[in-house]
Amino acid sequence: MTKKDSWLVWLFLAPAIILVGVLMYYPMVGTVIESFHSTSFINPNPQFVGLEVYQRIFSQPEFAQIVVNSLVWTVGVVVLQNLLGFFSALLLNQHLPGQGLMRALVLLPWVLPGVVAAILWRFMYDPQLGLINSFLIGLGLSDTGFAWLADPNMAMASAIIAAVWKGFPFSTVVYLAALQNVDEEQIEASIIDGAGPLRRLVDIIIPAIKEVMLINFVLTTILTFNYFDMIWVLTRGGPQNATHIFPTKIYDLGFGQFRFGDAAVYGVFSILVLVLLIALYFTVQGSSRQRRAAP
Amino acid sequence: MRQRPRRSRIALTILQIALAIVVLLPFFWMVSVSLKPPTEPFAIPARLWPENPTLENYVSAFRPEFRTYFLNSVIVSLSTVVITVSLALLAAYVFTRAQMRIVGIIMTLVILAQMFPASAIIIPIYRMMRAADLLNTYASLILAYVTVTLPVAIWMLRGFFARLPVTLEEAAAIDGAGPLRAFVEIILPLCRPGIVATAVFVLIVTWQEFLFALSFTSTREMRTLPVGVNDFIGQYGIRYGELMASSVLISLPVIVVFLFLQRQFVAGLTAGAVKG
Repeated sequence: MTKKDSWLVWLFLAPAIILVGVLMYYPMVGTVIESFHSTSFINPNPQFVGLEVYQRIFSQPEFAQIVVNSLVWTVGVVVLQNLLGFFSALLLNQHLPGQGLMRALVLLPWVLPGVVAAILWRFMYDPQLGLINSFLIGLGLSDTGFAWLADPNMAMASAIIAAVWKGFPFSTVVYLAALQNVDEEQIEASIIDGAGPLRRLVDIIIPAIKEVMLINFVLTTILTFNYFDMIWVLTRGGPQNATHIFPTKIYDLGFGQFRFGDAAVYGVFSILVLVLLIALYFTVQGSSRQRRAAP
Repeated sequence: MRQRPRRSRIALTILQIALAIVVLLPFFWMVSVSLKPPTEPFAIPARLWPENPTLENYVSAFRPEFRTYFLNSVIVSLSTVVITVSLALLAAYVFTRAQMRIVGIIMTLVILAQMFPASAIIIPIYRMMRAADLLNTYASLILAYVTVTLPVAIWMLRGFFARLPVTLEEAAAIDGAGPLRAFVEIILPLCRPGIVATAVFVLIVTWQEFLFALSFTSTREMRTLPVGVNDFIGQYGIRYGELMASSVLISLPVIVVFLFLQRQFVAGLTAGAVKG
């Protein structure tokens, strides 16, 4: 494309710029503006109240709980999902029989619609009819089973397990692709030098795909922090707020109680977290570019 | 190929079987319960396969409102796939070919938007849809879905365009073809694998979208499948057989599309990443 084709450039770009600008960038600003306004079911018209909504939200103990919940949820899902994704990618890269089929099947939980996955896990966790309690009781490991989602101490862990099952295949595929680029000769050489599997992992494989790992960590963190479907269908944030995270709280405040201003304060917080993570992403990408450029 | 000691091969094979069980057991159970006759009780320990499998649950799951939800999902998803892929092709092509600095900045901003949290921006979007009188219409969902899938679609397609040498267009220009003709007749046909991969990705994302559909639709006539089946939970009580049959019916279209096109899909997904 040359300079004189610039009309074509703008014609091709216009739909994307308009849609992303109006329906993604502008709403970011809109959420910040909304957070300075107060609305309720009785008073649906937004009224400017300055920082009043922020003050109210920060003074509620609920806010701290949701921050802690979100942290536990995000760290739990991201760490487990990446570990499981990484080790299953190593496993599926070993030239074992049936590997081609497994590489296709492993992605199925990720393809399964989120709401369906959540319903399925809700059923598996059912205290009376669920598969998990049934196994535990059948094997004699427990007399009556557990209330996986109804017990405030277990609900978050249960939700994390379900989300990891749904999400790890994506990490597996990303790591599998990265492993294809690891230098086979280098591995052969290290075997001749007598390096065991653990040494090869630490000395060759991990350094070779470190960049992909870091980027995948940041991306899965952003996606997990904002993942609504799983928790909403499993617990709706309950029991007793034990699993409420930012996206479920925003939906509950905004569309459940019509308190758009309150929801927007939580929204502004999600945006701040996103900005921090994106800054981290660019730092990671930038530093690895620099290292590659250096001799 | 390297040869491993027998013992470690056996251990690895066992691990692979364990992985397969973890991945597939919930699917297996979903299908098994969907085939269980409503009269067959849940036993402890659970029976993994029903004694007298039947399609009864599917017949009752496929009721009129389910058909409405299904049709809505098909309309919204297919429209989104067509529009997103078309717009993404245009934008991704320009992003890989234009030399202008400003275009590079716009590209970063557009691709960055794929990380934006829907929950943090949904209230202003809801207000705009309400102002435009679009709430509870296909248009509101399609507009939202096209917008949120566009950045990823552009990012995936860019990986494919970047592999095509600029000499293709240069040769076309020598033959007297304008840039628009070169794009339509030479570049697009070469991108078919990328188009397929991107379309599958957009379909998977749109088919399961829940938050926008939950917030923007208010009547049963406009619900899509994820919202509809979530409503079923309360209505069905503990009639899990029907609920699982509905779940199978919802998942089948995307799983079939995925299994047919999975090779191209995975290649496409990782092409974007490699070109990062």
